[in-house]
Amino acid sequence: MDFGPVIEGFPRLLWGCVGTLGLALAGMALAIVIGISGVVLRDSRRAAVRWLVISFVELIRNTPFLVQIYFIFFALPFVGIRINPTPTAIIALGVNGGAYAIEIIRGGVQSINKGQVEAGYALGLRKSQVFRLVILKPALRAIYPSLASQFILLTLTTSIASAVAAYELTSVAKQIENDSFRSFEVYGVVTLLYFIMSWIMMTFLNLIWSRCLNYPVK
Amino acid sequence: MRPYKFSELNRRHLLLGAAATIAMPMILTRSAFAVTPDELKKRGKIIVGIQGDNPPWGFVNSSGKQEGFDADITELYAKELGVTYEFVPLEVANRIPALTAGRVDVLFATMAMFPDRAKAVQFSKPYVANIITLIAPKATVIKTNEDMGKLSGIAVPRGSAQATQVKKNAPAGTNILELDGDAATIQAMLSGQVQAVGGNMFYKDKLNESKPDTYEDKLEFQRVYNGACTRLGEKEINASINAFIDKIKANGELAKPYAKWMKQPVPQFPASIEGVSFSAS
Amino acid sequence: MGEKEFIFLLQGLKWTLALTAIAFAGGIVSGLVVALARTSDSRTLARVTAGYISLFQGTPLLMQLFVVYYGLALAGLRLEAWQAVAIGFTLHASAYLGEIWRGSIEAVPRGQMEAAKALSLGYVSRMKDVILPQAIRISLPATVGFLVQLIKGTSLAAIVGFTELARAGGIISNQTFKPLLVYGVVGAMYFLICWPLSLLGTRLEHRLATATR
Repeated sequence: MDFGPVIEGFPRLLWGCVGTLGLALAGMALAIVIGISGVVLRDSRRAAVRWLVISFVELIRNTPFLVQIYFIFFALPFVGIRINPTPTAIIALGVNGGAYAIEIIRGGVQSINKGQVEAGYALGLRKSQVFRLVILKPALRAIYPSLASQFILLTLTTSIASAVAAYELTSVAKQIENDSFRSFEVYGVVTLLYFIMSWIMMTFLNLIWSRCLNYPVK
Repeated sequence: MRPYKFSELNRRHLLLGAAATIAMPMILTRSAFAVTPDELKKRGKIIVGIQGDNPPWGFVNSSGKQEGFDADITELYAKELGVTYEFVPLEVANRIPALTAGRVDVLFATMAMFPDRAKAVQFSKPYVANIITLIAPKATVIKTNEDMGKLSGIAVPRGSAQATQVKKNAPAGTNILELDGDAATIQAMLSGQVQAVGGNMFYKDKLNESKPDTYEDKLEFQRVYNGACTRLGEKEINASINAFIDKIKANGELAKPYAKWMKQPVPQFPASIEGVSFSAS
Repeated sequence: MGEKEFIFLLQGLKWTLALTAIAFAGGIVSGLVVALARTSDSRTLARVTAGYISLFQGTPLLMQLFVVYYGLALAGLRLEAWQAVAIGFTLHASAYLGEIWRGSIEAVPRGQMEAAKALSLGYVSRMKDVILPQAIRISLPATVGFLVQLIKGTSLAAIVGFTELARAGGIISNQTFKPLLVYGVVGAMYFLICWPLSLLGTRLEHRLATATR
């Protein structure tokens, strides 16, 4: 086994890690936006809107991410929507994460006691305030562990974005592997880098928890 | 009484037994690790690595059958040895790893001869010529290497000769997309994700299949020669393939697949290529 | 896209299902071992297994496939592509199923274990007759959910060049030049297989929640 090429290419691998974390954070942000919007639309009075959200969620959750990103990158241009690799990856990650986020957040929202909402209105809060402070925040607090582990998975899923040459760790790893033919050494080290990154992500998500959502609840 | 007797097994036995069950599939392997033509003849079959998505060299057609120039050469070599053949279609970047891992006996897989590849595998004498080019729509203006820098993007298959050439010749800062294989690269061109692709002399035919008369070769990077690959140190099979290649050049059998797939006469092959040795030492 | 192309896609689908079946079967056996090791009384064994599980849950499936695919070759094992890939998926499944079943074993009320010990049942009988039947029932929704993930996960075998459904789609897309249609059909095929399983998982979850109420 020869780790020379890996050590030589290590700076490039580290930059690839930066790319991965960047993609992951952008994807998570988009996923939360889609998640919250989806939860709101899911309870729309119009059946068509409800069915749209349900179909979206079921479609995304029951098809592979690789096929989704292939579709966005190779097929959408044929209807006029052409997106570069890195934005494609962010959109694919956001859409995929968003579909799962809709279901997870919805579970949290449904667990909020109706009495809480009534109390909110009784206190004179506006509808948007009730949604933000009485429903959404407690719901996020309740389902945070599920959402966090889904987001760790999202961070790991960024490796599939190498199939459309987005800038992240796996793409860099493949380049180093092709030049050196030392497949096991390269991918072994890269696997450990991903392990460290998932740990970094977990620490980051725990930080958000303790800063924003760790308030006492009876 | 039965539950009592069964429960005398303790945890350790259970874990060992289950571990053995898992280990079983690993013992049932079918090895591709034959070293010499004699062993191949004894086995009766040669396992050949070939490209599955790179016409006309090697491609799997709609019926799932492997076809192409390399497929015809494989057929001839197998006939020479008196064995049957089995194809393993490989991605561009996976060809050398598959050979060194023992998954295939030999590569007839559009392997262009380069010195750094020659460090990892043993090439045979060249049997087919190729031109590595940059292909783009006729309307796009690309006359020099510098023009590549003006493009929004160039796609190449990861680990291919054209990837090396484009990376070497394009100005710094050019957006080069390295994708997994020839199929993805062509799809990137057709979907407009990139403005040019690094390919071989047949890419434009493939691209023009979808939009006739749209694409042409813009830059010619390199004329390369392809050889068959075997593992380093395996002298007998290397000698056998070299003898076979000499034979089909001499008796005109090489000309037939050449005319059918390359649509050219057989060119003169160089007697040696710098950095690449044709015989195992 | 004609009939021939469609049949080629179906052949890819065949490999997707075959890989899933092998990985799931292997994963069940090895996952059980992992779960039992993880919940064992030996602290060392439990810790080592926890490390094994967190390694597979903290790294991408694609990397796990690559490492197994290239690592086995380096170790001298000459395997066919599908065998190496199947082993990779099986190890992945063993870690995830092991963790799912650990959770469900620990969800069985402690009183059950204590009662079984009080009745002087040995380890095997405790597990086989008392704990596991209850644990497996609790784990059914999550196990079915993981099966869906596994089916989708087999698409990554495409990146090591294995012609399952996703790669077949890429090849046909390149022959017909109609990626919208081809990837649409490929997505639909995955959907038709995964969606019923997802619905089954949801139904099991509701039934379980009702039963324990």
